[in-house]
Amino acid sequence: MSLMDALPTPRLRWEGWHPNVVLVSLSLIMLAAFWLLDVVSMAPNRIVLGTGHGALEAFGWPGALLATLLLSFIGILACQPTHRHYRALLAAVIVIMALMPVGLMASSYLLIDPEMPQARLGMGAAYWVVLFVLLLCLVELRLRLNLTRVWPTLLLCGVALMWWLCAAFGLETLALVQEFKARDQQFLSAVAQHIKLVSIAVSVSIVLGLALAMLMRRYARLQKGAFAVLNFLQTIPSLALFGLLLAPLAWLATNVPFLAQLGVSGIGTTPALIALIGYSLLPIVRNTYTALEQVSPDTLEAAKGMGMRAGQRFWQVRLPLALPVLLEGVRITTVQAIGLTAVAALIGAGGLGTFIFQGLGQAAMDMVLLGALPILMLALVVDAGLGALAEALRPGGTR
Amino acid sequence: METRVSNSLSVAQPHKKAPQWLWPLLWGALLMMSVFAMSAAEPLFRWIEPDARQVIYDRAGFVTLLGRHLFVVGIAAVVTIIVGVAAGIAVTRRWGSDFLPLVAQLASLGQTFPPVAVLALAVPVLGFGTLPIIVALMLYGLLPIVRNTLAGLQGVESEIKTAAHAMGMKPTQILCQVELPLAAPVILAGIRTSVTINIATAALGATVGASNLGDPIISGIVNGNMAYVVQGALTIALLALTIDSLFEVLQRQLRARISDD
Repeated sequence: MSLMDALPTPRLRWEGWHPNVVLVSLSLIMLAAFWLLDVVSMAPNRIVLGTGHGALEAFGWPGALLATLLLSFIGILACQPTHRHYRALLAAVIVIMALMPVGLMASSYLLIDPEMPQARLGMGAAYWVVLFVLLLCLVELRLRLNLTRVWPTLLLCGVALMWWLCAAFGLETLALVQEFKARDQQFLSAVAQHIKLVSIAVSVSIVLGLALAMLMRRYARLQKGAFAVLNFLQTIPSLALFGLLLAPLAWLATNVPFLAQLGVSGIGTTPALIALIGYSLLPIVRNTYTALEQVSPDTLEAAKGMGMRAGQRFWQVRLPLALPVLLEGVRITTVQAIGLTAVAALIGAGGLGTFIFQGLGQAAMDMVLLGALPILMLALVVDAGLGALAEALRPGGTR
Repeated sequence: METRVSNSLSVAQPHKKAPQWLWPLLWGALLMMSVFAMSAAEPLFRWIEPDARQVIYDRAGFVTLLGRHLFVVGIAAVVTIIVGVAAGIAVTRRWGSDFLPLVAQLASLGQTFPPVAVLALAVPVLGFGTLPIIVALMLYGLLPIVRNTLAGLQGVESEIKTAAHAMGMKPTQILCQVELPLAAPVILAGIRTSVTINIATAALGATVGASNLGDPIISGIVNGNMAYVVQGALTIALLALTIDSLFEVLQRQLRARISDD
């Protein structure tokens, strides 16, 4: 029995009323967006801008009431934040997300005249705001419930499945679905090309970056120069670098036939890959270098004392200990490369950026979304996946 | 990655005066040359693109393009700095601490959003022109500032704050006279990242109808005129380098001031 046991534990004592302010305000934002902004937009054909429809027109009285109830449910539960309420909130958020495509089906039934085969339904500002805020709620709930990344990811996969099922079987009128159906082969090959470009660029720069980091450790003079050059490269805007590579590569391709046979040309994959690798090197080299340097000298000394040779010390001690930070570099690089590859579409490298720039050119916003949304999802998935991997590989971390 | 507050406090850097303005002046001079005297380099561009009818981009003067580019980046920078620093301060106060985990998570998650995707998502909502690019730049530039403001304010040791409190300082005084000055180098590093990224991203605005330094690049790529591309790319690169080296000087001076005190 110490003095500490006799003191009251302050955390269990509620000083009055402690609602979860974050969730309450998020719930209010969603309600405001739902009633004030356009829920869906309806356009008679592809190019004409859609006319917006509010909650009542889109869902009818019963639907709007149900949505309002569900959204206020989040705020009401958040007023008394207990562990059980947080779990209920998690369930509610997932249910609302899964019900959203059903709502679209309802408004497609209510708004779209079956006589007009060209008519298409677009998700309005309110839909995007609510979806985004629900994701914020999910992040907040994950932090409050101390969940690992696995559970929310699985739940989101379930939600994605629900959306996919609805899109495949009852949402032919949704503009995004129509855009996809009009060019599904093209879409799939664009995704494949995007992933191919990113993975080639990232794997080449991992190899180059590792080699460069090793050389830097050996020759100290190289370190300053290399970092200066890589930093300089990072300041040059991607669009400018892609553009600047066009001229010399086109010149090489016309004047050195051997290179042209190898596929080097001013426009297309080669300049895109060169620029992507150039951009990817800085984060990789920086993280590899710091990762290898930060391994504590005591550990290495101990390894030496155990009779390990230099090679063994590197492969069995230094590298495993450096791995999490190294992977962090790979994560940053890959996410960055996914975004940059979109820009590479401008110089004819293909990938999902093609849809964005074509859509912008034709003022077809749904096509822009068809390019932008997968890029966003790809970036988030890679970020989560590599983040989880780095967490798992941390020595003494999750096992 | 970012310099921690404690590092910049403990290491007293030697204060060199002469060479630190060298780079911004050099890059700035080159930028001015490329903006005002682009046509003087006509023979060079003629050599790059011998067959083209026009080798100097003339749909708008480079001065105008530079002005518009700076206007867009400037507006976005002012708004992001005000909002970002205010948000960072708000969630580190007692009354705003409920929002801290969410905002911190969001600031790191936001780096995942590719700028092109953000821009592409802004266009359907806001239409073509300068507005979507400004909004996209604001959203994208906000996150480094928020993240670094949080890191800077949280990096201030609690002993220092306690000492300030014990000296009888009020919370506002602690914030303005203790926390913010100590966090300033880290916050400035965030602003530097944000502005540098935004100068590059603003060029993408040319694809959504905002006229700026991205224009020559896009029209060069579309028409197959390499000379235009080189002119646009060169000017943007010089602008980015000028601003970046200015921030470098600013950061160095700030660090020097903190270690002098």
